[in-house]
Amino acid sequence: MNRWILDHTQAIADAWKRTSDRFTQFIVLVCLLGILLAIPGWLAQIWIGMASLVPKDAVRSEAIVFLKKDLDVEARIDLERLLSEMPWVDEIMFVPRSAALEQLSSQDGLESIAELKNNNPLPDALRLKFTMHGVEASENEIIEKLTSDRRVLSLRYYPSTRIQYASLVEMLGFLGVGLSLLTIIGVLMAVFLVAAADVVDDRRRIELYTLLGASRRFIKRPYLYRATILGVLAGLIACLVITLLNEVLSSVLALSLKAIDTRLSNFPMDGRILIGVASIAVFTSWVGAERAVSRRLKALH
Amino acid sequence: MIEFESVAKVFDGQREALSNVNFRLAPGEMAFLTGHSGAGKSTLLRLILGFETASSGVVRVAGTDLSTLSGEKLARYRRRVGVVFQDPNLEDDLSVYDNVALPLRISGFSESEIPKRVKAALSRVDLSDQAKARPRVLSGGQQQRVGIARAIVHRPALLVADEPTGNLDPELSARVMRMFTQFQQLGVTILVATHERAVVESLPFRRLVIERGSLVSDGMGANR
Repeated sequence: MNRWILDHTQAIADAWKRTSDRFTQFIVLVCLLGILLAIPGWLAQIWIGMASLVPKDAVRSEAIVFLKKDLDVEARIDLERLLSEMPWVDEIMFVPRSAALEQLSSQDGLESIAELKNNNPLPDALRLKFTMHGVEASENEIIEKLTSDRRVLSLRYYPSTRIQYASLVEMLGFLGVGLSLLTIIGVLMAVFLVAAADVVDDRRRIELYTLLGASRRFIKRPYLYRATILGVLAGLIACLVITLLNEVLSSVLALSLKAIDTRLSNFPMDGRILIGVASIAVFTSWVGAERAVSRRLKALH
Repeated sequence: MIEFESVAKVFDGQREALSNVNFRLAPGEMAFLTGHSGAGKSTLLRLILGFETASSGVVRVAGTDLSTLSGEKLARYRRRVGVVFQDPNLEDDLSVYDNVALPLRISGFSESEIPKRVKAALSRVDLSDQAKARPRVLSGGQQQRVGIARAIVHRPALLVADEPTGNLDPELSARVMRMFTQFQQLGVTILVATHERAVVESLPFRRLVIERGSLVSDGMGANR
């Protein structure tokens, strides 16, 4: 058999042997890291799950673009066409000033303005519904651009709920990212300490292997495989915890929310989160062990 | 094979472990390195094995200045050296066979070559019948022989032994020395560090006597 495969098979066997020698310690560590990683994973699940259930109107802004009075039909149609071609525009509707006057006159206390029919002071308008997938600044840029257009008299902007709460959401997002980073650092440190302790325990063996001419890569291999096994199992535990939490909490929330929207009867588990959490678990374990073993080997040599 | 040119080793900038050590060991030569505990024998061996670098002077093995080696090159160099310890330092989880095969696996020998070499090495130390045994069931002398088989299995050109008979009775010590003599006759360069006068005086090989880090005598047994 190929030497490379044999070396790696041997390293995996060594890693498994080390794992079984300290099985209790290993299981405790797997559960601890799994639960630790489940925290940011679950936060992300809530974040993405809620985002997917946000009503469309909550993320859609609206603007009423009042057109200049002397604007000819061609210029108005040209502006309308230009706006309708914008990817962020969901809906565009022309509101002639006569219709605006009728609407206003039908409202309570404004019947008298119907008399202005022959001398209508209102401008024509375009009612624009749009959704930006970026941040608040992007919407402001659009509004400024429209306001500065020579065909536009003035503009009234109704930002979406998302835009109104953007800074709060942003802050919560930063908190989530901060917590996730802290968790990842915690996992890195835990794996680092455990791997470093393993190397100290195996000092005699490592010295022997070094004397026999083993490269650092050869010596490190079992520890890295052990860390990978640890990462995979911690990732699985984390995924399991996130799924269970989601099941339990989604059923509790569903009782209150499904009356508002039938889509809220459950929060579907997002596969990207599970894959992300499992990948982070393996990656952080590997990096933690690699750093610890490299540092220890450097000190030993 | 081994060349020390004005070698000094100072630890922590003040403790001088070796001072102006000069000697050459020809290929196929066997020599004893003797001296009291703390005289500098182990430091000298660590310099040969590349675990330390000389503070001044040059250590050459097979023409290579060891201070120029690092990382993978140093590992490759060590694969060409056999090492025997006072404590054979065997892996209890592995059988005698696997312990002896370890240097071959580390060096990347093919799986078809390994059994032949391990068999030959075990036969040379009279342990062919113990291949499947675990080291812990063997006697001290047998364990030391396993250590020797592991040191010679990859047919090194240089064998370094650090107090190889330190834990053995006189009879076993003599047996181990006979083995070293046989290897030397096969062309292996051997340097044995020991403080056992009886072992050194029983064999007609060169003696390097080291005291307080300095080489104070270099000659055949009769000169001492």
